[in-house]
Amino acid sequence: MTSEHPFEVLTNAHVTKDIWCMTCHTPVAAQIEPGQFVNIAVPGDASHILRIPLSFSAADAQRQTLELVYAVVGEGTSRLSAMRPGEVSTMVGPCGRGWWLPKKSGRALLVAGGVGLPPVVACARMLARSGVGFDAIVGSQTSDRHVEFLLDELRNMPPEQGCDCARKVVVTTDDGTRGIHGFPTDAMAGLMADHPYVQVYTCGPLGLMGGVARIARKRNVACQTSLERMMGCGFGACSCCNVELVSGEYALCCKDGPVFDAEEVAW
Amino acid sequence: MVTKSNVGMDVDLGGIAMRNPVNTASGTFGNGRQFEGFYDVGSTLGAITCKGVAAEPWKGNPVPRIAELGGSAILNSVGLQNPGVKEFVRQYGTYLQGLRDKGCAVICQVAGHSVEEYVRAMDLFEELAPFASGFEINISCPNIAAGGAAMGATPQSAAGVMRAVRGHTKRPVVVKMAPRDVAEIGRALESEGADALALINTIPGMSIDVRTRRSKVCRPTAGVSGPAIHAIAVRMVWECAQAVGIPICGIGGISTVDDAAEMILAGATAVSVGTANLYDPTVAARIVRGLEQWASEQGVSHVRELIGAFEC
Ligand SMILES: Cc1cc2nc3c(=O)[nH]c(=O)nc-3n(C[C@H](O)[C@H](O)[C@H](O)COP(=O)(O)OP(=O)(O)OC[C@H]3O[C@@H](n4cnc5c(N)ncnc54)[C@H](O)[C@@H]3O)c2cc1C
Ligand SMILES: Cc1cc2nc3c(=O)[nH]c(=O)nc-3n(C[C@H](O)[C@H](O)[C@H](O)COP(=O)(O)O)c2cc1C
Ligand code: FES
Repeated sequence: MTSEHPFEVLTNAHVTKDIWCMTCHTPVAAQIEPGQFVNIAVPGDASHILRIPLSFSAADAQRQTLELVYAVVGEGTSRLSAMRPGEVSTMVGPCGRGWWLPKKSGRALLVAGGVGLPPVVACARMLARSGVGFDAIVGSQTSDRHVEFLLDELRNMPPEQGCDCARKVVVTTDDGTRGIHGFPTDAMAGLMADHPYVQVYTCGPLGLMGGVARIARKRNVACQTSLERMMGCGFGACSCCNVELVSGEYALCCKDGPVFDAEEVAW
Repeated sequence: MVTKSNVGMDVDLGGIAMRNPVNTASGTFGNGRQFEGFYDVGSTLGAITCKGVAAEPWKGNPVPRIAELGGSAILNSVGLQNPGVKEFVRQYGTYLQGLRDKGCAVICQVAGHSVEEYVRAMDLFEELAPFASGFEINISCPNIAAGGAAMGATPQSAAGVMRAVRGHTKRPVVVKMAPRDVAEIGRALESEGADALALINTIPGMSIDVRTRRSKVCRPTAGVSGPAIHAIAVRMVWECAQAVGIPICGIGGISTVDDAAEMILAGATAVSVGTANLYDPTVAARIVRGLEQWASEQGVSHVRELIGAFEC
């Protein structure tokens, strides 16, 4: 059940460009599932009142630690980056519904863009734990905005059982400074032609996720997508985070998502 | 050390018996259940006010519905998304009856686009919601095209809604007021049989993203709430309390025990915590404890002695 938990910053370091990584000690780490998120109260300035919703890249239930990778884009994330080891605050979580395993047996394709990567890495861990094989496409604007240690984690996760096929981790940049020149969607066709994937998982900018969903649909592959919304509460109390569905109804991103079946979303 | 005080905390909001003065503002508390992971709602609060519900489902407004404004305020334009009375009762009836059983009053909020729609929703609630301790008529939502704030804009239109619904329930009726002409409109509502008043709803406001030149939410104007509006709300509660004899539930920017106490001194019988629930989900429970402490420090034997006890 979603609740309020204390957390203590263990490390909070600059990674590259505007991207930071925080590890913290918090009991929520023992309950949270890949794709779920936490809503963080950043101390220091009472004039910005809302919490900051963040996905996580790794949770260690035993040591009760959570790893958050985030871009500094404004007031709240900037204050978050100023938190020092030993500082404490609270987070609301676990929030929402996370990724689920593929309904069919077979290989999965992960497609991440920008800071959509952290929850996709958590998804990869879930798949590796369950013996599901996967390949990944990770895009960013430019070469030095890639989060190298998360790319390494994707490469180094245990291989699936009973298969010696090597995992592909394809890197793209919008400006061509590293890997494939283009968007992650440009790299999808090649991989999908070679492999009969049973499931696509995606998180990143809205335009990217819409494109990924379209390609998956064309090839008749199930697709899960983790959406972002401005949030008031993060636990279904304010109806501020509506997501329009193809049925014409609104779902709540923080409660019914953030992970949705891409088929249900009105892109 | 905290010693248990012997101050009486129960209040009567126009026939709605509350074990303590703390209520929640409609639309900021889900329908209670969302907060069960934070504290035991039924054995803690004096009352909860549910999200506004109409006779038929309303879809609500498109994205984005909320923006952080800085300056301790947010802007929202939810537009009263709700599943209609029948579905609301199906989803929450059992839970809300459970709150009643634990001693927490349940106020169901009634929404409509026209006088007829309020009456239709009221009739459905009367029939399907035995768990409701009373009803709150929302004539102050700034985020819908018809009804809402337009219905509460003048003493005549507000009185018209109250007159129409009055004959349709014997349970207490609270009216949720917009932040305008509260003395005059309050008097009109009282004379049509309102049992209590709740104020204020959000203050109409605007916020423009200067780079994109677009509104930060889905409509040009929306509702401002949060600690920034508290002083305005206290002033309006005080003005209204001078003008009417029925009890008032004070709402607006309450985020601390002192904020709640201020409302009571200004003349509020009960207080509703709103926006603060969203970013500080245990705040209403802390205000329950803190108000008792405050009343005890004030040396009164009952919190009722502090209602309107503001000394100019
Ligand atoms: C479920 C969920 C998971 C998220 N996970 C991550 C993550 O793992 N890593 C990460 O870097 N970011 C993540 N985000 C986005 C992050 O919450 C926002 O970047 C952050 O709230 C911005 O706050 P701010 O005060 O710094 O920005 P502000 O000063 O408020 O705004 C700066 C910019 O950020 C945008 N923004 C503000 N709030 C949000 C929001 N809730 N969602 C998206 N954009 C927003 C604004 O539109 C504006 O363009 C996630 C968002 C959601 C909803
Ligand atoms: C997200 C949100 C949704 C709201 N929905 C409703 C509603 O359905 N009905 C209503 O009467 N007021 C609604 N309100 C207004 C609040 O009940 C309250 O009157 C207002 O926010 C002022 O109090 P506050 O500053 O403590 O939030 C809503 C406010 C917010 C922030
Ligand atoms: S953010 Fe409040 S309901 Fe989703």
